[in-house]
Amino acid sequence: MSLALILIVAFSGAIITYLAGKVSSKLRKTIAVVFSLALIPMIALLFGKNIETPLFEFLGLRLILRINNLAWIFAIAISILSSLSVIFSLIYMKGKEKVDFYYFMMLFINAAMIGIVFSGDLVSFFIFWEMMSWATFLLISYKRGPALAAGIKYIIMSIFGSMAMLIGILFILNTQGTLIISQLAGNINLSLYNTIFIMILFSVAFGVKNAILPFHAWLPPAHSEAPSPFSAILSGILIKMGTYGFILLLYVIVGVQKLLSLPGFTIVINILATVTIIFPTFVALIQEDAKKLLAWSTVAQAGYIILGIAFGTSLSVTGGIFHFINHATFKALLFLAIGAVEYRTNGVRDLNSLGGLIKQMPITFVAALIGACGLIGVPLTNGFVSKWFIYKSLILNKSPFLAFFALFGTWGTILYSFKLIHNIFLGQTPEKFKSIGRAPFSMQLPMIILSLAVIIFGIFPGLPLKAINSIVVSFGLESLNINLWGLASSTGALNTINIFTAISAGILLVWLLSKLGSKAKSVNQDDTYAAGTSVPQDRYHYTVEFYKPLYRVIRPYLKDIVDIFYTLLADWIKKISSKLRKIYNGYVGNYVMYIILFLAILIFVQLKWSLW
Amino acid sequence: MHISEIILSPLLALIVGVFFLGLSRKIMARIHWRYGPPITQPVIDIIRMFSQKSVSHGNLFNFGIIFSIAGSIAVVLFIPFGRIHPLSNSGGLLVILYIMLLAPLGIALSSGEAANPNSSIGISRKLLLTLGYEFSLLLILLALMTHYRTISITEIVALQQKGSWSLFRLPLVLPGIAYILILPAILGVRPFEISKAPQEISSGPMVEYGGTYLALAKIEHAFAIVIGISLFVNLFLGGANNLAFFFLKVLLVFILGIFINAVFPRLRTEQAIKYLFGIPAFLAFLGLVITVLI
Amino acid sequence: MDRNKLIKWIKTPAKMGNKYSLHAVYFCTGCGIIEIPPTITTRWDAERFGVTPAATPRQANLFLITGYVSLKTLKSIIRTYEQMPEPKYTVGFGSCPINGGMYWDSYNTIKHLDKYIPVDGWIAGCMPRPEAIFIAVTHLWKMIDNDMADGYKKYRNNYDQYRANQEKVLGSLDWPPLFK
Repeated sequence: MSLALILIVAFSGAIITYLAGKVSSKLRKTIAVVFSLALIPMIALLFGKNIETPLFEFLGLRLILRINNLAWIFAIAISILSSLSVIFSLIYMKGKEKVDFYYFMMLFINAAMIGIVFSGDLVSFFIFWEMMSWATFLLISYKRGPALAAGIKYIIMSIFGSMAMLIGILFILNTQGTLIISQLAGNINLSLYNTIFIMILFSVAFGVKNAILPFHAWLPPAHSEAPSPFSAILSGILIKMGTYGFILLLYVIVGVQKLLSLPGFTIVINILATVTIIFPTFVALIQEDAKKLLAWSTVAQAGYIILGIAFGTSLSVTGGIFHFINHATFKALLFLAIGAVEYRTNGVRDLNSLGGLIKQMPITFVAALIGACGLIGVPLTNGFVSKWFIYKSLILNKSPFLAFFALFGTWGTILYSFKLIHNIFLGQTPEKFKSIGRAPFSMQLPMIILSLAVIIFGIFPGLPLKAINSIVVSFGLESLNINLWGLASSTGALNTINIFTAISAGILLVWLLSKLGSKAKSVNQDDTYAAGTSVPQDRYHYTVEFYKPLYRVIRPYLKDIVDIFYTLLADWIKKISSKLRKIYNGYVGNYVMYIILFLAILIFVQLKWSLW
Repeated sequence: MHISEIILSPLLALIVGVFFLGLSRKIMARIHWRYGPPITQPVIDIIRMFSQKSVSHGNLFNFGIIFSIAGSIAVVLFIPFGRIHPLSNSGGLLVILYIMLLAPLGIALSSGEAANPNSSIGISRKLLLTLGYEFSLLLILLALMTHYRTISITEIVALQQKGSWSLFRLPLVLPGIAYILILPAILGVRPFEISKAPQEISSGPMVEYGGTYLALAKIEHAFAIVIGISLFVNLFLGGANNLAFFFLKVLLVFILGIFINAVFPRLRTEQAIKYLFGIPAFLAFLGLVITVLI
Repeated sequence: MDRNKLIKWIKTPAKMGNKYSLHAVYFCTGCGIIEIPPTITTRWDAERFGVTPAATPRQANLFLITGYVSLKTLKSIIRTYEQMPEPKYTVGFGSCPINGGMYWDSYNTIKHLDKYIPVDGWIAGCMPRPEAIFIAVTHLWKMIDNDMADGYKKYRNNYDQYRANQEKVLGSLDWPPLFK
């Protein structure tokens, strides 16, 4: 299967869907689903292949498409997740305006992302990167109003990053004479400072996309304002393009050998990553909007991924890449579950006004629960395995403080995940939500598939880990002793099948034990102990300020200084610009004067210093 | 790893845990100058609860509590009791740390379905308390793992058997003291009984449990006591070579816990958090710094 | 433990369990509750008989009605009684629940508690001393042994009648019938 063909299918799918939408909505839906599903087998067939095909010349540079194991893992994740969220969109987007545009953009973004991971040189990488960034902007601001503000915030930061990357690419082109990644790989010959210089430039670009801490400000509003199926893609895959960039930069372009010779850089990235874990975790804790909570949690989880990748042992890199896959599954799952709740409750996302939906939407609840368990890293979910890899690597390589912050972040994750689950699905049901129905099947299906992925990768982590191990080996790191059930090692092994057996045997045993007791009578939800009276309806769902004693302690420290700084900067630029605007006062005479003054200065400069 | 060990170790934990529940009531009574119930009282209670016809609030209500005990049983399999350690080699301390989550998570989900505000308050307090002591506990465990350069609990026990107990090793003294200071919070005994608080929020998460569910919750509590103390004994008091000696150590630590339980009133949630983020956290942090430097 | 007791434990564990583990609802109706603290604490130590206060009715099997029952309290009592898991035992404490006691002509208290919920035994007196509670407990043991403490069964069998009585004094009840 040629790579160009896949890209052509992907891009033409977007256009055909758009055109089909002009004919009928049914045709549009069918075509969108068919095209997004068709990509999965096409990409899956490329497993294990290592192809590099030149495409054509552009400005004297050869554009190259290539695939290897790393690109394959990202591409398959993109194609599966995008088709699931397209399926989810079928009913979610029903009756909304500009649906053609929505599907076009969804498929277009996925095509651009596949383009990014397939690109074998930095020019095509940059082109696809920009396609993705701009299309994302359009889709974030799909709903207008606050969404537009969020989109503008995103695109400004994104342009900032892209420009940094462009400078880096030009710098590489000038010093190395080539932009083909496979030629650059490992034999980049630059002085130490120049290497650090391009690494910083690229890190800014990838850091913005991946929302590492000083560049995270765009993410929470963007995630919460975008339509839910797109939030799933945004959080699950799109920001991971930054991760892909980091891997490409650190392990392919610069190479492990060189990376280890400049430890200062990785230390800085590691510290940034831990800050990215801790701070957003506690910000997520105080959020009242379900999607905003998940958005902040995305920032924090991206911190884990970057921490794993930047730490630079084969254990941690394996953990980091695996955590990327896992995060794509469980965070997409959570966003879809919240989307289903939002769909059924007519757009309510406020965690204080929902409650008790477990009876109404049981499958959505189970999906959200599995997603939350993955997010926490409860054993038998995939999040546990990847976090275990990262922690173990941090502990055994004498970085207990990084490990501490990563682990402590997990406990913060427990708190906000439980708050999310509890406030939406448990407790008292408000009267107005008592009669809402289950999520429709086309919404349940993606959630079921993703839940299965979370569980299966948790019990048999060896399936993806073997592929990841081959990637890690190709970076020049040592190979790990991976089994189907985890890791065999003398300094502490992991055996998920044993854990699974132990817990399921325990469940069976206790279930039998509980059968010994007399059978319980099912009662209504309202029949609860309330000191001899009945609990009043609609009033006693304990949600507001769920962790009040903690909030009192942490709230003063949770000011998003970076965001405040950006806002101040934007205000300042606005002020300066509006002052500057005043020189355009409408008198032609003045304009002539400006021109003459400018020319006079030029002439003066030329006469004095003869620059030209 | 033998099948007999897999069966033996949860059974032992259950028996010891239920015995401890009875013992604690007896000792508490004696401290109060009372005669106290027979030591078999928890067994009688559990039999009575099993016989009662309780109410259920739904499937999650039934499943959560079962899941919770299953989690506890799994933890027990990972913790060495003397020489019995059926699954200790399947993941080490990190796995133990994480599986210990399952028990509170199961109870939290189960009681969450009951729609009783008291249980929600209780869970919120429990999670806060967990966050509080976990801060110190993680630092302590990291100090241990850094010091011994392994994440396997059996290795740590073996290394202590060769040398001295962790509590008396130079860099680990401070973490050891910190662990003792947070142990009541881990066990949930009186100064930190904030999540149950029977007089205040009607036993918190267990407010809707009756009959079989309450019996299961009692059993879970028994497991939790054994797990909490066994972890401490294994990590800091050198574990043991045989069962009798191991459970003797566990018993001594437990009696210490009862004494604290008997004389202290209950803290408020804010006070508990302030305490946990205070001295124990500082000691544990200092301990980790010293461990890293040495 | 003698042999007879052991045989009983093996034959009827549920009955024996209920007998020796009486968890009382901590529900203060009237002045009689003042006798409960000394009963459960150091002076008389009810715990040696297995009698302890339970935090909620869901966890309890013994209901002590300690003192006069006003109409407002009656509502809570009924609700609490219905939330207790079976088997459950009720003991009226003091003369007020028996026949109204000194409140016999009050417009606002009920005179015969056993019209509204089944009562397994009474402790007469105003106030009965804590020792009387222990006598009541030992009596209750005998009744449980002989299957005479069957108030909860009575309640189930004659629920319509009880409910009618309840509705007569309280007007409409804001919860659905326990048994249909």
